[in-house]
Amino acid sequence: MIEITIHGRGGQGGVTLAKLIATAHFLKGQYAQAFGVYAAERSGAPLQAFVRIDSKEITIHNQVRTPDHLIVLDRTLISPGILVGHKPEGWILLNTSDDPLKFAEMFPGRCVASVDATSIAVEHKLGTRTVPIVNTTLLGAVGRMMDLSWQEVNDAIAVLKFGGANVSAARVAFESVQSMTLAGHAELNNPAVAANHVAGILDPDVGGPPKIRTGNWATRQPHRRRMQAPCSHACPAGNDVPGFVAAVSEGNHDEAMRILLETTPLPGVCGRVCPAPCMDACNRSEFDEPVQVRDLERFAAEKGQRPVPTMPSREERIAIVGSGPAGLSCAYQLGRLGYRVKVFDAGFEPGGLLRTGIPEYRLPHSVLDDEIDYIRQHGVEFEGEQFIDRERLLLLTREFDAIFVAAGLQQMRGLDLGSACGDAVIQGIDFLERAQEGSITCSGQRVVVVGGGNTAIDSARSALRLGAIRVTILYRRTHVEMPAIQEEIVDALEEGVELRELVLPKRAAPGKAGLTLTCSRMRLGDPDATGRRSPVPITGADAEFDIDCDLVILALGQSADLSILPEGAEVNKDAELLGLTGAPVILGGDLAKNEGTVAHAIGNGRRGALHIHRTLTGEDLFPPATEPIATREFIHTHLFDHASARHAPVVSPDRRRRSFVEVREGFAKSSSQAPAIQEAKRCFSCGMCTECDRCVEYCPEGILLHRHDGQYEFNYDYCKGCGVCASQCPRGVVYMTEL
Amino acid sequence: MARELITGNGAAGYVLAQAGEANRSARGCCCGAYPITPQTEIIEYLRGFEFAKGRVVPVESEHSAMAVCIGASLGGARAFTASSANGLAYMAENVFAAGYFRLPIVMIAVNRTLGPPWNIWADQGDSLALRDAAWVQFYVESHQELVDTILMAFRIAEDSRVMLPVMVCMDGFIVSHTQMVVDLPEQQQVDAYLPTCSIPHRLNVDRPATVGGLAWPRETEHMRHEIQQAMERVPAVLEEARGEFEQVFGRRPHGVMSAEYVDEAETVVVASNTIARTVRNVIEQRRVGGEAIGLVSAKLFRPFPRDAIRAALHDKRRVAVLDRNHSPGSGGIFWQEIAATLQGCDVEVLQDYVVGLGGGDVTPDVVNRIIDDLVKRETSAEPVWEEVTA
Repeated sequence: MIEITIHGRGGQGGVTLAKLIATAHFLKGQYAQAFGVYAAERSGAPLQAFVRIDSKEITIHNQVRTPDHLIVLDRTLISPGILVGHKPEGWILLNTSDDPLKFAEMFPGRCVASVDATSIAVEHKLGTRTVPIVNTTLLGAVGRMMDLSWQEVNDAIAVLKFGGANVSAARVAFESVQSMTLAGHAELNNPAVAANHVAGILDPDVGGPPKIRTGNWATRQPHRRRMQAPCSHACPAGNDVPGFVAAVSEGNHDEAMRILLETTPLPGVCGRVCPAPCMDACNRSEFDEPVQVRDLERFAAEKGQRPVPTMPSREERIAIVGSGPAGLSCAYQLGRLGYRVKVFDAGFEPGGLLRTGIPEYRLPHSVLDDEIDYIRQHGVEFEGEQFIDRERLLLLTREFDAIFVAAGLQQMRGLDLGSACGDAVIQGIDFLERAQEGSITCSGQRVVVVGGGNTAIDSARSALRLGAIRVTILYRRTHVEMPAIQEEIVDALEEGVELRELVLPKRAAPGKAGLTLTCSRMRLGDPDATGRRSPVPITGADAEFDIDCDLVILALGQSADLSILPEGAEVNKDAELLGLTGAPVILGGDLAKNEGTVAHAIGNGRRGALHIHRTLTGEDLFPPATEPIATREFIHTHLFDHASARHAPVVSPDRRRRSFVEVREGFAKSSSQAPAIQEAKRCFSCGMCTECDRCVEYCPEGILLHRHDGQYEFNYDYCKGCGVCASQCPRGVVYMTEL
Repeated sequence: MARELITGNGAAGYVLAQAGEANRSARGCCCGAYPITPQTEIIEYLRGFEFAKGRVVPVESEHSAMAVCIGASLGGARAFTASSANGLAYMAENVFAAGYFRLPIVMIAVNRTLGPPWNIWADQGDSLALRDAAWVQFYVESHQELVDTILMAFRIAEDSRVMLPVMVCMDGFIVSHTQMVVDLPEQQQVDAYLPTCSIPHRLNVDRPATVGGLAWPRETEHMRHEIQQAMERVPAVLEEARGEFEQVFGRRPHGVMSAEYVDEAETVVVASNTIARTVRNVIEQRRVGGEAIGLVSAKLFRPFPRDAIRAALHDKRRVAVLDRNHSPGSGGIFWQEIAATLQGCDVEVLQDYVVGLGGGDVTPDVVNRIIDDLVKRETSAEPVWEEVTA
């Protein structure tokens, strides 16, 4: 009688290999027996299967203890331990890419054969790459070792109804198996009888995880990580978006406010005027609609209590030039760090463009005043009507320990329409400032606004509110290329502003009444450096046309006035001015980087503050390097329900077009918090653990613990690496690594 | 006759289907089925079989599986099913109902440990817990005997002198999941061997009646006594079934038991299921060394074949009983029966050995140790737990 023991792991097909070997011999007219040791464990458990072959009836039903031959399906099971009971004159067949000689020390004096069945199975696409099924492949090698003909191997495979790749893989193994008798002397290792402790049913740990360290079988392991949500990654201010949204969803507005105030002093401002790149990045966009982050930020700012501010605790004094969003952000962060901060601004009141450039129907002054007041509560002082030029800057470098210059963009781009226009042509920034002051009216006027940015839209809508009878925006590209916030464009059109696309004014001349503006028609050409398609004038008969108007507002953008920079100063990569003898000077905001949004300015101001702190103290408070971003492919969206977005109320175009009343009313306007909370609950919390505990509930081994201290603990001793936890994590927190 | 390399489950499914198919000219067949390891493959085989007249009814539990068999049998169909361990325990209420209704249902019990602790391996405790359910019970020692006994089970169950359900029990995994070489019958042979199923008390729409209604104590006791009398007729009916089996299939399966080498031996070992085969191998080896030891391979457990057992063992000096089962507070269950049977006989030592519970591999070494222990004993003792005390 020939007895064979097969060592393999659950799922590799060891029992089927036993059946294949038995079948091959049964077909030759021999008696055969094939069976496995079945256990309750799943895939990956080390298991044995056995074969007996004899010319007479087999009456033994015990497991094979003294095998003639050994077959090892899994390289991790190749160890001296398998030799127990093995008859020295038999052979050992190993599934390995190694040469038999490699096992000279482990199996001295034995006949060892090797075949790389795993690679052959993978090449023939048998099983999966992680769990290749090697049984039919190995039958080829076994057949060669047992002196079966190829036909006999082939017949056995056919009887078990395997075909195709199984046959060709077996053939490769049949041809490629190599065996040799290794040097040394082989002895029979008798099975040792081990006296193990046997558990009783009353032992306290009976019923716990099995005492087999099943974690040893794992080829993969789960871990947890916090990923950066795409919204947070996209936020130029660096806000923890899912963090504050989660607090809103729990009705914890103070916590939402606290989270926002870590990165921005102006949540009420951003909650109104931010173009919200977070919403463009939102993983819900493709699923249904993005979470209404901007409205939720405003809601948090309106509902949440701010923490008690801290007063200066340091001696160092910092000067900030410019009280726009970058200057305010920098002042606020330095104030929180304990510095004595003084902000200089050319304007009478702090706020810069937030105050003068954004109309009240978008951003009421009371909101700005309230947020600036909180910055003041940190000991920050403001000094208005201070124009800082090159000389005063140098004086400041001797008086203060550091200076942050965020004077904004003070040079406005013009458009030469000829000399005959007089004061019928005005810059948008100036127009908006005068509108804020109440020193301009458009009553009965036909107004043309040139440009496509927020200043253009703000100017057009303000002109309407100041009594214009017709407001036309001329833009040289189309509305798709307009840099203004898309919702604002829609609002403007709803209010009756006219948009004429692909038009560029060329010249103005006095007309019958007011001005006649001659314009060129344009078409879109190739994309320019910004990626937007550039406008190209049309030639031909109707290439030009006239528009009659009373006022032309130019909103073509601004650029930095660099005359503040001292001669000989250099700017390094940290926007630091070099070559001065006094305190370090840092440039910030749009002056340093023309990024154009309040959120960018806030982020820039905060980084400026951290840079100053590091320069003065050596302490690095910059957030650690960016974590991986939880993009769409990390989110198991099928685990979420579809839900359309809740929108905050908006005043109707009829009611708002002649008034500076705030257009967007915000979630807080409603008597119920439910809409805001429901909207916040739509957040996927991408890359952040919400302690939903699906991983714990779905772990088939019960090895994942959510501890009382809130931490999660994997018991890797018993984790088989099945990956169910990772597949059930809705938000990409749990992930698998290969071992 | 086809010679196949097949698992116990595959072989059982194969002959159950043939037996059902053999009743196609009468009321057909029916199998109420619910899967449980290690029996599942039997049900899989039956589900894949295309019956000319009959069907497999998948249900939501073992309790319902037996209820389907009861209903089908009362309707006159040849009814059969298979189960194991906790499935048998859950089915128990209706197992008794089938027995007390005297419905000739055949069930394959794949012997497996009842938990806790969780354990899927061979142990006779599951079917022996149903020994009082008015079922005939066979314990088979090989694949071939499984096949042959299933066929005889239908003959016995449906015999008008018996009219009782029959359970055929095999070792879980050791038989159920092990491929061995087996001679499987052809359908014509099964057709020839099994008469059509005729159930005298089957429901008849022309004579509406209620079955299983209230019975008074005297009537109940009478019905139980009838069951006892039917049980007592089983050995004789089994002998007839063996004889006709040999005529059709050309081989003679074991009867109520197989007594081997007992005449010349003072010492006899009693075992059942595959352990009996291991014991036979050991005894044959020791005979070569000059030791005269006999074997009783016990097969029929209900009715317990007292006459045959007494005849084989009454004058032996030492008898060992190997039990892969245990009745807590007493001992091995085969041992209890044999002790009761040998009352008044001259056996000096009747020693019980509890072995292989929870699927432990009862190796030739274990059997040798037991025989070595037995031959040294002068008096009987409490049951020996071989693995625990070794």
